Amino acid sequence: MLRYIIRRLLWGIVLLVLVSALTFVIFYVLPSGDPAAQRAGPKAGPDLIAAVREQLHLNDPKIEQFGRYMKNVFFHFDFGMSFQNNTNVKDDIISRLPATISLSVGAVIVWLAIAFPVGIISAIRRRSFLDRFTMGASLVAISAPVYWLGLVALYLFADDVGKYKIFPGINSYVPISQDPVKWFESLILPWLVLAASFAAIYARLLRGNLIDTMSEDYIRTARAKGLGERRVVLRHGVRSAVTPVVTILGLDLGILLGGAILTESVFNIPGIGRYSYEAIQRLDLPKIQGTVLFAAFFIIALNIVVDIAYAFLDPRVKYG
Amino acid sequence: MRGNLVRALLLPMALLALAVALGACGSDSKSSSSGGGKTGGKLTVLNQGDFEHADPGAAYYQFDFMIDYATQRPLYSYKPAETTKSPDLAEGEPTISPDKKTVTVKIKKGIKFSPPVNRAVTSKDVKYAIERAFSANVPNGYVGTYMPIAGAPPKPTPGVKPISGITTPDDQTIVFKLSKATGAFFAESLVLPASAPVPEEYASKFDKDNPSTYDKHQVATGPYMIENDKAGNTVGWVPDRKIHLVRNPNWDKATDYRPANLDEVEVQEGNEDTAAATRKVFTGSGLVTGDITPPGATLKDATTIYKSQFQDPFSGGWRAVMLNTSKKPFDDINVRKATIAGIDKTVLRQARGGQTIGDIAYHFLPADFPGFEEAGGASSDQDFMSKPTADKALVTKYFDAAGMKGGKYSGPNGDITLTCDNVDPGKAVCAATADMLRGLGFNPTIQAVPHEKMLLICGIPSKEPEVCPNVGWFKDFYDPQTMLDPTFKGTNILPENSANWPQLKVPAIDASMDKASLLTDQAARAKAWAEIDKQIVAQAPGSPYVWDKQPNAESKDVAGVINEYNSVWDLSHTALK
Repeated sequence: MLRYIIRRLLWGIVLLVLVSALTFVIFYVLPSGDPAAQRAGPKAGPDLIAAVREQLHLNDPKIEQFGRYMKNVFFHFDFGMSFQNNTNVKDDIISRLPATISLSVGAVIVWLAIAFPVGIISAIRRRSFLDRFTMGASLVAISAPVYWLGLVALYLFADDVGKYKIFPGINSYVPISQDPVKWFESLILPWLVLAASFAAIYARLLRGNLIDTMSEDYIRTARAKGLGERRVVLRHGVRSAVTPVVTILGLDLGILLGGAILTESVFNIPGIGRYSYEAIQRLDLPKIQGTVLFAAFFIIALNIVVDIAYAFLDPRVKYG
Repeated sequence: MRGNLVRALLLPMALLALAVALGACGSDSKSSSSGGGKTGGKLTVLNQGDFEHADPGAAYYQFDFMIDYATQRPLYSYKPAETTKSPDLAEGEPTISPDKKTVTVKIKKGIKFSPPVNRAVTSKDVKYAIERAFSANVPNGYVGTYMPIAGAPPKPTPGVKPISGITTPDDQTIVFKLSKATGAFFAESLVLPASAPVPEEYASKFDKDNPSTYDKHQVATGPYMIENDKAGNTVGWVPDRKIHLVRNPNWDKATDYRPANLDEVEVQEGNEDTAAATRKVFTGSGLVTGDITPPGATLKDATTIYKSQFQDPFSGGWRAVMLNTSKKPFDDINVRKATIAGIDKTVLRQARGGQTIGDIAYHFLPADFPGFEEAGGASSDQDFMSKPTADKALVTKYFDAAGMKGGKYSGPNGDITLTCDNVDPGKAVCAATADMLRGLGFNPTIQAVPHEKMLLICGIPSKEPEVCPNVGWFKDFYDPQTMLDPTFKGTNILPENSANWPQLKVPAIDASMDKASLLTDQAARAKAWAEIDKQIVAQAPGSPYVWDKQPNAESKDVAGVINEYNSVWDLSHTALK
């Protein structure tokens, strides 16, 4: 097991290096604009642009820029300074992490709290009205793009621009360290919006897996042994059916921790997603690289965690 | 048993519903006050972006100026409704020597820097402020262009270097020796935030960094300051999230024309949904828009339902479809005239957002700007430029003059490229332009790229395509030279970042500009530059189609004051009712 974990960690590092290299090539070797001209402003002459280019080390050979970047990232955890507002990208990302974690983890709890009961009930009461209704509703939730759902939710329920002023609206995010109650209130609407489509996907996935699992021989054996239905479903059925759900949960959480771009932008939550969005809009390469690497780190790390979790969830899985 | 299971599973769902309900109960409603403008209170500005340059020495864009005009005192500044400068840090009008090469400014006594500097401002602080703007560490886009000070480095210097052309005979006097006889124009440029004082003993250690980190430690001389800690760190600026302005305890009202009604201002950034943010301002309390440009539908509401809470002054700029005069087929002036006559400006304005975004443009000195009326007001003396819609007869006339019959381009160089924004509204303007050019007989190809890349391509003369339909220019201060010199003077065809998009190089126009730049009298300058505007239009370098307006929204309980110079809310004049 330990050897497996070490191997996965090493592969994770290799992957991060590859992602960094790819990001560097996309944004520095094939740039879609001139960061120096952008920073210097439209009225700047060539001399000033040249000075800014020097300041940003954009004249150095690409390989040198890449080497410096990799050294700073992997040895000093330093993503450089923003081209746009001269701030430290690492500090920016770290300061935004709590908001993104709050949004992502909260949304995960919400969607699991919805998906598990709905998926299980639908599976054990197949073709009932409840099953048809929840599966129909889940299709609607999957089909609704999160930015659209977010705007609709705001226009209906936000206390600033909404028709029915129920939940705190745009700009209402308050850090948990500042006021836990307001933090909770401010995230209710974003959690629900972000969780909607995920809850629907997970419910359908769990339902499908559970239907398959419940027709397995060992389930019949468990029932024949006289085990209670709740124990059969929860201990034997769900435990087996949940493995694929854990896989995608790891991936999804990794992606969200890398930044829930749309939800954070619609609700103006100062997290990594909104930071990425602003960076892309302004062609702020250090910020873009920082957020891409951060997202890659979370996805890789959570994949490793998921793989390890398999061993505990499914006794059939063994790592050598 | 199954029924029990269902009930057990329903429990978390019920808890979730309860949490939602509790959250709903916890949210409180806002109240709004009413009445006239009062002293005190907090104003919240909803912004999309952040500073472009937080350092006043490098400040460049509209929003940078909005904050700087509340926190800094340049030598001169514009009162909200005025287009002539007023003394700010300066005691009175500048003295310009008869040879127009020396400008002397006396500064007021009793103006102090905010904490932690806490000392009186002297002329040496203005000297240092301008010197640092010539360094590479403070990337300033305009000092090299507008401030031809003798001894100023021709290229940005590593670190701050003294400039021999700036002297300070005493603590209250600063003298600028210029390398050109452009004293009047230079004096006008002293409204720019780069002339706001910076204390050398405090800032120099930050200015040694490249780029300078003074932006994160800046001190103020205006009525407000970015909230800072004892060491001077601007803790009130959280990049991309907020800017918190508080009163500058060292500001003395007796020395300033600003009323500074508000106790504090908070800029909330990241409002990407500009429609929702504007709606929030209209229906909320104590709010104004900052750098937000609401979409068309919201603007319609703004000009009807919320008319009393909306102002859209001219922003002092134009947007144009520029034709590259150095390349075929637009190297032929008659082809250019025919093309401009065939452009329907109303369609382009509609594509950009409709009537609310501005007035139809007919020349390059914008509405409400010195020289505008003299240049023709809302019209032009050139027939091909004087109509808002396309004129087939004129198209035929000028194509005839170019040797092409049938009112269409029939030459060999009809394959043209338009380099455009790849997102709206630029994309829509580009598509409409391409349609019109196709109708005129050209074979246009659209090269759609991100806005920054479009500026990059259109700004490099050797790479510039035949048509750049998404370019525009906005004033730096109220002098017509700032509108026409960088954009149409032959010597301003720079190897990169060139704003002379048509690549116009007409010796007679350049000579007129050189002559007009020496004029001291503002009325004479306006008249001379208006004539130059006419000369430029006669060359048909492109089709200006809109003189932009800047939409600004305020809540009902805000007594907002627009500063015409910046076209946005003036934070040191706005009040809560």
